[in-house]
This record gives sequence, structure tokens and C-alpha cells, in this order.
Amino acid sequence: MDISSLRKQFDADVASVASEAELRAIRDKYLSRKNGLIQAFLKTVATAPADARPALGQAANDLKKRVESTIDGRLAAVSKKPRADAIDITLPGREPLVGHRHPLTLLREQIELFFQRIGFLIVEGPELEDDYHNFEALNMPAEHPARDMQDTLYLASPLTSATGAPATLLRTHTSGMQVRYMERHQPPVRLIAPGRVYRRDNLDLTHTPMFTQVEGLVVDEGVTLADLKGTLVAFARDMFGPDRKTRFRPSFFPYTEPSAELDISCAACAGAGCSMCKGTGWIEVLGSGMVHPAVFEAVGYDPERYTGFAFGVGIERMALLKWGVEDIRLFYENDLRFLEQFPL
Amino acid sequence: MKLPLEWLSEFVDVPRDVDVVARTLGLRGFEVASIEHLPHAVIDFEITANRPDCLSVVGLAREASAAFDRPMRVPMPAAGAPGSAGDGRSIDVSIEDPESCPRYCAQVFAVTGGAVTPAWMRDRLDAAGVRSISPIVDITNYVMIEMGHPTHAFDLDRLQGRALRIRQARAGERIRTLDGVERTVEPGMLVIADAERPQAVAGVMGGADSEIGAATTTLVLESAYFLPASVRRTSKRLGLKTEASSRFERGADVNAAPAAIARAAALFEQLGVARAVGPIVDRYPTPHEPLTLRLRSDRIAHVLGMPVDDDAVPRMLTPLGFAVSPAASAAQWDVRVPSFRVDVQREIDLIEEVARHDGYASLPATFPELAEAQAAPDARTLVDRRLRHVLTACGLSEAMTFAFIERTAALPFNGGTEPAALANPLSEKYAVLRPSLLPGLIDAAAHNRRREGKDVRLFETGTRFTASGEGRAVAGIWMGAGTSPHWGEKPRAVDFYDVKGVVSAVLDAFGITATFEAVSRPYFVDGRAAAFVAASGSTLGELGQLASDVLDARGVPAGEAAFAFEMDVDAVASAERPGDLRAQPLPRFPAIVRDLSIVVDNVLPAATVRGTIRAAAPDTLVGVTEFDRYRGAGVPEGRVSLSLRLTFRSPDRTLTDAEVDAAMAGIVEALASSHGAMRR
Repeated sequence: MDISSLRKQFDADVASVASEAELRAIRDKYLSRKNGLIQAFLKTVATAPADARPALGQAANDLKKRVESTIDGRLAAVSKKPRADAIDITLPGREPLVGHRHPLTLLREQIELFFQRIGFLIVEGPELEDDYHNFEALNMPAEHPARDMQDTLYLASPLTSATGAPATLLRTHTSGMQVRYMERHQPPVRLIAPGRVYRRDNLDLTHTPMFTQVEGLVVDEGVTLADLKGTLVAFARDMFGPDRKTRFRPSFFPYTEPSAELDISCAACAGAGCSMCKGTGWIEVLGSGMVHPAVFEAVGYDPERYTGFAFGVGIERMALLKWGVEDIRLFYENDLRFLEQFPL
Repeated sequence: MKLPLEWLSEFVDVPRDVDVVARTLGLRGFEVASIEHLPHAVIDFEITANRPDCLSVVGLAREASAAFDRPMRVPMPAAGAPGSAGDGRSIDVSIEDPESCPRYCAQVFAVTGGAVTPAWMRDRLDAAGVRSISPIVDITNYVMIEMGHPTHAFDLDRLQGRALRIRQARAGERIRTLDGVERTVEPGMLVIADAERPQAVAGVMGGADSEIGAATTTLVLESAYFLPASVRRTSKRLGLKTEASSRFERGADVNAAPAAIARAAALFEQLGVARAVGPIVDRYPTPHEPLTLRLRSDRIAHVLGMPVDDDAVPRMLTPLGFAVSPAASAAQWDVRVPSFRVDVQREIDLIEEVARHDGYASLPATFPELAEAQAAPDARTLVDRRLRHVLTACGLSEAMTFAFIERTAALPFNGGTEPAALANPLSEKYAVLRPSLLPGLIDAAAHNRRREGKDVRLFETGTRFTASGEGRAVAGIWMGAGTSPHWGEKPRAVDFYDVKGVVSAVLDAFGITATFEAVSRPYFVDGRAAAFVAASGSTLGELGQLASDVLDARGVPAGEAAFAFEMDVDAVASAERPGDLRAQPLPRFPAIVRDLSIVVDNVLPAATVRGTIRAAAPDTLVGVTEFDRYRGAGVPEGRVSLSLRLTFRSPDRTLTDAEVDAAMAGIVEALASSHGAMRR
């Protein structure tokens, strides 16, 4: 068979097929090294006159290329065609049932992660407390006016706390745990105590009678107020991002001296002053200070040798500021339409 | 404390810009609650409990003097010499309880009559938030705002025996206070009595019977120092908080007692309201010893983490009223604390005074040194994190509910006993401590079902409270569909086995093998409740379908099924398989799988069947799984067809069919003899 007949035969063959398998069979029929038609034609070239051989070889080569490109083109076209059993890939998938962690947990874990990164121990303590650990050991003896800062929920009759000790109240902060830790350990101390705390506050947009706190405590030789400032500024940056400004200013808590509050610049007005920041341009984030020597004396630490700092963060407050939640009660209503807004 | 800028300017020159003054004092520890610009510039400060001296214009003026480095204008004009006491115009003062009342000053004044409060005073009082009442009352209020020291005027003619006795109240004594309320006072409360009965609750409120009025011709002005704890106790017991009590309970200035009378006397005279007749009576049995503290320069640097210029220290402290003198040792000072600074009791308090001088602005930001790696977090924190991982992976979202709930919601969950109550709950809704996490989750589920009827899958980790104390628990609730919604199939309603699967996943995460036992509980549907028990015998928790009356009571829409579980986290954590994990090599020989269908009694528990199979099988039986349970055509009434898949494998050789056939024969025979099982 001459080369032009061969080409016509290929054109006819390829025109009459549609499937991928048929196209591959045609490719084999012409291009197979063992028994392909072009290979067979090339064998006949060897017997042709010497001066005709280059042209015949060239023609065979051209046909080979034609077969390859035609088959490749047709194969590509075939694979694009919709198949009989095609599915609508735009329909929704079958989503596995996956729950969301509570937004307060997301934030608590972010806070825990930050402080773990800088070497803090996480401790947990009882929610039922006695007057000594909640107040007295923290430089708030009975009739101390600062007790008004934390309106307390008392038990009708004493119960046994998780430590096995009799308890008379719901802790108003997790500081009691810090006292317990110091009673049992010598410095250095570097811990955070996260947990639920209770105050006799009526529910409104910014108060709930139960809320979540993370308190921190660092005690060692040579711990300074500057260390507290550095730690809290880094913390605020981790929580709110590097764009918010921070301000560390004097305040008062009975268990710290000097005491300080940390403010961040108001996101709503970028520091210009608005109703959210009461016109000051700043929003209060947390309270802190250097541990009062009386607290060290209560737990048997030498206040001349050791210094330390403490701080307390309300997670709900952080959440309001961070996510722009307008009503704190949403965190305790457990409406799935709210909970599912937060990442897994 | 509302501070009119114009009043402040009487004592110290401050910038005219109220915002600058507010910001500057704010950075010294006086948080600004609000700023008024018109009609008067007024800054409302939140004065912290340690600074009663700054519940006054003069106190804040001292702070401004230090902050702006401007001198204070003192002293204030004094009154002229008092006239002589005429007949019946003297007062007999005696302190019967010097512990509760260390100092009591009084002076008698003859009322001129006809005077009115001048506009300038009314304006200042108004700007400070005080209503003008009468010249005498206005002056006492003015002195209180200006100096921070409360005084009280009695109508001398109404005092029996022209006497003031500062003593404990006697049992059964009564007094009608200025607010018109008749009150019973009792021992433990300090009163100012005349010869017969109480005329004022000391430091809290005066009595109506000796109240000054238009007819008053002679008044006696009281200016005292009462023990803070005594005033606070009395104020709390009477439920009566006043401007005076809030100052006394934080700590007044013992030396302001005579000064406040002198100031009031000057104003009485200046405004033509009254004239002193007789001297200030000053009962002060044990005068206050001024406190002197040693302040060390190196200690300041040690606490702050920043050195402070030695020359600067006296400059910071002196304007605040501290008397600073160099101590015998270098770079140390002896600092005498003024009597109005009741908060300054030790060196650290002076260090704070130094630190807050520039609002901590110059403090560097450093990190505390870390000498060694920290220990692992509290095991309970890690357990809670794992519980959250497993339960969210099971499709439950995390809820948080209050630890106090309604008593009726708690009752079914407390084993028939009274739940632990709060002494001072916010309301009936939050009266008792939850004995279980389930009531809170039921409320959360009801909330969701009532809204958009969403499928509810919630869990909570938290504390629960029983008579034996507090414990940690985790609980979950599931309502609605048991499957993920999808257009390709009909949803299946949640059932017991969905929640049992969740429980099993949690137990598996802790490597715990538990057995499930049927139980009966008031809050679960009978026949659809189980407890799960660890190998040690300790009960880990319960699961079941919640009883409809419990759901109804909490507002879950009628006819909706809810399945729930609760476990004791402390028990789960302690039942966790101990020891290090060792990975098992994968099996080297193939398994042989045989299916077995038997017909047994409908009420025969699957666990019993499994037990019989395991007992009858050789060690090569490595797995038994139920894969079908069928009742209906072909299965006699009261019986059930149970299909099980049995997997056999040997760790060291390939099993033969003949061996497995023999094992199966033994199993079938055991099932037949133990349970009358028929092979299908």
C-alpha cells in the first residue's frame, strides 16, 4: 500500500469512531512498533530505489505525526464530553456533623496558648471558696471597703469545695487559687488560673452573674512593674493585633501595690473619643499590679526578697471588644445561630 | 466625685482646658467617668476605695498641684474669734466608746436667720451634683465637698440635757432618720445620743427629731472621726448608704475634724448665717501618732524595674502632703505620712506614689526572666480540652450555662433531696446550685427549638454541686435529626444509639472499657436509660431519653424527643487507662470472617449474646460485631433475628477453614443451649 492510500485509510478510520477505546485501537493499528501499518510501510522503503528512500521516509514520518496529533486531539475532545452518568457537582456535599467550640473557649484557649508560649503554668482551682482565700489572704479583711468592688454570692449553708475544704461562697475571682498555689509552692511562680467566677451582678448588656476569668501571677526575685507592663502589652498585641495602641495606667486593687490597668485604643473611633469609650479614646481591658506585700506575708513569702505581679482578664469583656458582640448575655443563651458564627 | 474646674482653680492654677486636666489626673489613677463642658466644666472621677481624701476638691487639688507642678493656695480664711457662750448655749460632749469614735469635735452657733445661700455657692454645689436646701445645710455640704469631711448640725434646743453622748446603741432603741424612716438600732451600731436617746446614727445619718429648721436658733455642729469598720458595719446592717458613710467607711482624716468646723464657722460668718458662741469642744482621748516610713531609692528601682532620680523623689511627694527628709543612710528618706492619706501604710505605698507620678509612661516594657521549662498544665485543663475535641468531632457544639438555676429545675436531678441553695440569690431563677449540667442544657435546647426549630446538639463541661460538694462533669443533649441534613436522603430522627455512640467515643478517647446497665431515673424515660460503669466498678455516667414532663416543664415544644448524657469527669479521668502507649504491630496473617444469624428471645440483651459467643470461642475470635437486628416476617412473635459478624485470626499462623468451622459449631451449640438460639 502506498503512503497516500494509507493516509486516506487512516482518515476514514478515525472519522468513524467516537470512543476513547476505539481511538486508542486506531492509534495502535497505525503506530504499533511491532505490527503497526506505518512500521510495515517503512520496511518496504528499505527495498525501494536509493534515491526514492529519503522522500518515502519523510512521507512516512509525516503520516506518523498526523496520526499522533489527530488521535491526541480527538482523545482530548472525547474526554471533555459529558458522560451519561455525570453528576451536578454544584449540589451541596454531605457535611459531617461537626460541632463548634464556644467562643469563650476559643478566646480562653488563645489566652492560654499565649501564656504557655511565655512559660506560664495553667492551674485550676475550686469554684466554691472560703472567705480566707477569696478575701482575707488578699489583703481584704472583713469590713474592708474594697469588698464592695466584688459583690459576693454566699451559700445558704457551707459545702465542701473541690479541695475538700469547707466553703461558704462562690469565688468572685480566681485569685484564691493563686493563694492556694503559693501556700504549697516556693517561688519562682509563673502561672495563670482560668475559670468561672461569680458576682452578684444583675444581667444586662455588659454584666452576667457568672463569667470567665484568667488571672495570672508571677513571683520571683527581681520581678518588676516594668516586667508586668511588657508582659501585658505583648498580651494585648496578641489578642487585638499590632494596630491597637496600649496604655498602662495607675489604678487600685487591694491585693496589688502599685496597681495598674491596661487600656487599648478604641476601635470604634480610633482613639478620637466616642460613646463606646466614654469620650476618652481608650477602652479598659484588664486590671493588674505588683503583688501586695501583705499577700506575700499571708502565704509565708518574704516580701523583701520576692516581688511579683498579678493580673486578671475577663474573657467575656475581651470577647465583646474583640468580636464586637453587643450583648454579653448571648454567650450564655447558647443560641446555635450565634455559636455557629465562630470558627471551629 | 464631680469636680467643677472653677472650684479646683480656687486652690491651684490648672490649665483651662478641662480635657487636659481630666487626662492628666486620669493618668494618676483617677479614672474619668465623664466630662461636662457646659454650662460648667466638670469632671466626674471614679475615686477608688483607697483614696477617700480625693472625695474632695482639696484632695484633687493636691494631686493637680503635683501633676502640674503648681503651688497649692492654703490656708483658707479662718473665722473670727468665737463669742462667749451665753446661758444655755454650751454643749456637754462625751465619748463613751473611744474605739469606735477616736475624735469628736463640736461647736455651738447662734443662728442669725434671714440669710440665703449666695449664687456662687449654689452654682458650685449644683455643678458638683448637690441640691441647695438651706444656708446651713448648704454650708455643711460645701465643706464636705471642699474638704472631704462630713459634718452634721443638730438643733441644740432639741437635745435633751444639751448633751451629746457617743455610745453604742442599746437594744430596742429607735430613731427616725432624716429620710423619714423609723429605724431600730442595736448594740454594735454607734449612735450620737442626747441624755436620753439616739439623735443620729454615727457617720451615717442624722435624726429627724433634732433636725435644724426654720425655727432653729442655736445649732451645734458635729465634726468627728469614726472608725471605718464601725460605720461600714452599721451602714450595711441598716441598708443605708450616704455621702457621709461612704467617706467615713473608707477612712476620714482625723485631723480634719476641728478644721472642718473652723471652715464651716468661717463660711457661717462670711454669709451671715450663724456666729460661733463658745470654743470648739475637741474630745480626742488618744491623739493619732503620725506615721513615718523609710523609703529606699534602690527599693524603688527594684520594684519598678527603672531607677528614679533621687532629687525627683521629694519633688513628687511633697506637694501631696508628705514631709520628706533625708534619712541617716544615703539614698533613703524618712517620709511622714499626712493623716488624710489613710491608704499609705508601708514603703510600697510610697513607691506607688513615685511610680504614678507620670502615669507609668516612662516605665520600660520588659519580660520576667524564665530560668527553667514550665511544668505541664493542670490535668483538668487538658481533660477538658480533650473532651471538647471529641465532642465537637461528634457533632455537638459547646454551650455555657449558669451554675445557678431554678429550684424546680434542679429537683428532679438531685435524688429527691434539696439542692444546695444560695443565701443571697439574684432571683428565684438563680436560687440553687445545679446538681447536674442537664437542666441548663435542656433550657438551651428549649431556647433553640422555640426559635427556628433547629436541630440541637449541645454539650457543656463544668462544675456541678451536690451535698457532698463540687465536682466536674460533662453533659450533652441531642434533639431533632440524627443525621446530617442532605438533599439526597431523608433525615433520620436522633435515637438512643446516637447518644450512646457519643458516649462510646468519649470513653474510647480515654481508653476506657465500660459496661452499660439499664437504670431508672426520674428524668429519663423508663426502659431508655442506662448507666455506664468502669471495670473498677465506679459509675462514670448516664445516658437516656429525657422524660417528657422534665422537657415540658422547661418549655420544650411538646412531642419532641431529646436524648442526653452526663458523665463525671473526675471519674472518667481517673478511669483512664494508665501507662505509656505502646503501638501494636499490624497482624501478619489473614483473618477469616463468618456471619452468623440467629433467632433469639426479643428481650435477650445483645451483650449477653456476645458474652456467650466469646466464652464458647477459642482465642482466635478477635471480633464480634452486630450488623443487623430484625423483627417481622419470618421471625416468630417475641423473637428477634440477630446477625453478627465474627472475625477469627491467629497472631502466628494462617487459620484453616476447618478450624473456624469447628469454632463456629461450638459457638452455635453454646447459643442454642444457653439461649435457645435457632440459626437462620
